[in-house]
Amino acid sequence: MATELPKTDVVIVGAGWTGLAAAKELADAGQRCVVIERGDWRHDATNFGAPEEHDELKYARRKEHMIDTPTKTLSFRNNSDQTALPMRRLGSFLPGKGLGGAGIHWNGQLWRPLPSDLQMRSHYAERYGESILDGMNVQDWGVTYDELEPHLDFFDRVCGTAGVAGNLNGETQEGGNPFEGPRSADYPNPPMKASPPLQMFRDTAAQMGYNPFHMPSANVTKAYENAYGAQLHPCTYCGFCERFGCGYFAKADPIICIYDVVKDHENFELRMNSQVLRVEKSADGKTATGVTYIDENGQEVFQPADTVCLNAYALWNVHLMLVSGLGTPYDPETGEGTVGRNYAYQTIAAASVFFDENVWSNPFMGAGALGMTIDDFNGDNFDHTDLGFVGGGYISANQTNGRPINYQPTPPDTPSWGAEWKQAVRESYLHHVGIVCHGSSVAVPENYLDLDPTYKDAYGQPLLRMTFDFPENDRKMSAYVLSKAEEIARNMDNVRAVGTVNRAAEGESYSVVPYQTTHNTGGAVIGTDPATSVVNRYGQMWDHHNVFVFGACLFPQNLGYNPTGPLMGLAYWTLDHMKNDYLQNPRPLMDA
Amino acid sequence: MKLARTAILAIASVSLGSAAIVQAQDQTEEPEMSELERRLDVDSVLFNATIKEEPDDDLLELGRLVAMGSSENGGSGMACITCHGVDGEGDGSGAFPRLDGQAGWYMYKQLQDYASGDRPNRVMSGIAQRLTEREREAVSAYYAAMPSGDLDTAHGSMDGTLLQWGGQLAAVGSAEKGIPACVNCHGAQGTGLPPSVPYLAGQYAGYMELQLELWTDGTRDNDAMDVMSTIAKKMTEEDMRAVSEYYARVSNPATDGAEAQAEYDMPAAE
Repeated sequence: MATELPKTDVVIVGAGWTGLAAAKELADAGQRCVVIERGDWRHDATNFGAPEEHDELKYARRKEHMIDTPTKTLSFRNNSDQTALPMRRLGSFLPGKGLGGAGIHWNGQLWRPLPSDLQMRSHYAERYGESILDGMNVQDWGVTYDELEPHLDFFDRVCGTAGVAGNLNGETQEGGNPFEGPRSADYPNPPMKASPPLQMFRDTAAQMGYNPFHMPSANVTKAYENAYGAQLHPCTYCGFCERFGCGYFAKADPIICIYDVVKDHENFELRMNSQVLRVEKSADGKTATGVTYIDENGQEVFQPADTVCLNAYALWNVHLMLVSGLGTPYDPETGEGTVGRNYAYQTIAAASVFFDENVWSNPFMGAGALGMTIDDFNGDNFDHTDLGFVGGGYISANQTNGRPINYQPTPPDTPSWGAEWKQAVRESYLHHVGIVCHGSSVAVPENYLDLDPTYKDAYGQPLLRMTFDFPENDRKMSAYVLSKAEEIARNMDNVRAVGTVNRAAEGESYSVVPYQTTHNTGGAVIGTDPATSVVNRYGQMWDHHNVFVFGACLFPQNLGYNPTGPLMGLAYWTLDHMKNDYLQNPRPLMDA
Repeated sequence: MKLARTAILAIASVSLGSAAIVQAQDQTEEPEMSELERRLDVDSVLFNATIKEEPDDDLLELGRLVAMGSSENGGSGMACITCHGVDGEGDGSGAFPRLDGQAGWYMYKQLQDYASGDRPNRVMSGIAQRLTEREREAVSAYYAAMPSGDLDTAHGSMDGTLLQWGGQLAAVGSAEKGIPACVNCHGAQGTGLPPSVPYLAGQYAGYMELQLELWTDGTRDNDAMDVMSTIAKKMTEEDMRAVSEYYARVSNPATDGAEAQAEYDMPAAE
């Protein structure tokens, strides 16, 4: 029998970006917040300082900041005919654990959605006819760019985002992304430096008629005081962003940007090393009553609350709903039910550019969001007539790191070991840049999340089961965008070789083994129709009005951008409606 | 290759090693150039000394001349050795940092910044302006190639708690104040990260404290992206004193070769 704790106003599951943002905003609004986090307390100053943090083996290879698969994992299969097996090692994606969540080990590539991304079904239907979306569960988000803009802007000022605006209040700006939605304010900070390969990419892309711009970066470029009064420092281009915490206070993360300004708040309480098992429901099932979790002493306790916020990683939010009986699980046979529906991923391909000895890339000087990008083949920024697919991706020359274990670029047809391989690494290391195609992912009826019938986690709960393969649409999209990237690569000067890799190549199934990206989306999507969404357009569950859901699990399909920007825009949108409407009068904010 | 330290400099009065005693400068003696050149065979020394290209004996010889007060334009007006010493040992006044074994490119950039006014200093600006580009390179390479080690400077008595606090700031910074650890950039042992990040270990406390103050008030802002100002502004005077006194007491690894460096794996406060 679980011990029942005193009731709180709000219980928040997970202390990452969205969980800490929720705690800060709701605590300021007078709500007593209890944040429950499965991992350890940690801090940038004390836990992420170099040189210890710059241990590639420990953090990048052995993934010390990430979830422990022996305790928490999922099972995976490519399609319903297969039997899913547990993912016993992290590979394709890397969910985090501990204070700050995956917001600690991200790269800091901070994007906004395109206005048309948020109205994907209606936009494509209007421009090309509804049939272009046949066989896909592509949906509108139910919230528009203009509605999210103030919240996207606020998050830019939480992170001190660096970049060049392409659209300021409707006016196209030189040097920015001309396709982006209107910004109400410029980036808080100037863009990052451009290394020689990035300058070459920019010049070549511009010559080809494309519109290159600096990737928006949460690696801060100047000393900056954020919207909450926290101090950020300039990035030193050390090349240890993704998979690492930043001891320089230079990569915006949930600890230095939010936790530090809420930790002493009288309405804030953080409980570490506590694993939430399920959300409990009232007798009539219409509301949640709180959460049951295993505390740091291994005791099962019940934390009652008026409001429950689900702020775990996208996949774990869906898992919590399924094991708690929140909402209706998706049934791929009938197409009914919504929890687990519209799981999507990110479609990654890349061109690898090998320069001759005249071009020095010096990859060890890098940053997670150090990139030069074109958006000409993202979303519906280009004409999809007769292309046979929807969506797209950005193409970006990125210089994120030159770490010794993992960064060993070799031209095509190099042996994978031996003297020739060593020679190739020596010749290539300082003269190479990668161009990534960061592609969208449509939702299809065959890809979904549910509970595994066989395998259980360390807490005795069934594993989440992922059924996923790249949809045909995305394979075509990826091949197309990659061909454009390769063309740019070949047009650059001093190039001696170009290699390509396409994770969604025709004839190959998605694999959870090679790392691709930690951009798992969907499974608890946002919308205006309870038949096709788990939460209404305010992030509130249709079936349980005091449960609010945050994160990329809300995305009806994945856009061609990294998810942190869009999902934080949604988070502040939801919190705005909680603070200014729901909490005064708790009720469903939309009629089902 | 381990060079016997006493063979490196032909200064009879200087016995080097962990118990080195730096006496009053005897300017009639000069470092033996051939020994400095031999030190350039050691990768770590070469990397430390490299400015734009690998230094050679011509550059070191010119550097020695500049240090002694001579230069193409008829001299800088002052010899480096007058204040920074023939061995680059400086003094504890707070105004004259030690230069021996310091990162060469770092010192070269400081000279450039003194000359341009990016690092304002009434004494150094005039000196740097009178040096040619090549002379700035040369004298930087010369002092960078100079062997370093522990100076036998007397550290005043120090509150142990404050020293401990300094060590903590150096190693893990402060989560409360948002101060990143010094070791982030200045190396696990405070030995700097050549070419651009200077060593702190064994530097004079007074000098480091003064620099932190200059960064705080914005007088000095010539590091990359002004990172140090951001950090210094979060520090109290006590923090500055603590961390400066701490690093002054950290053993400065002898830079006469890789083997010697290995002896200094575990720096410790006295």
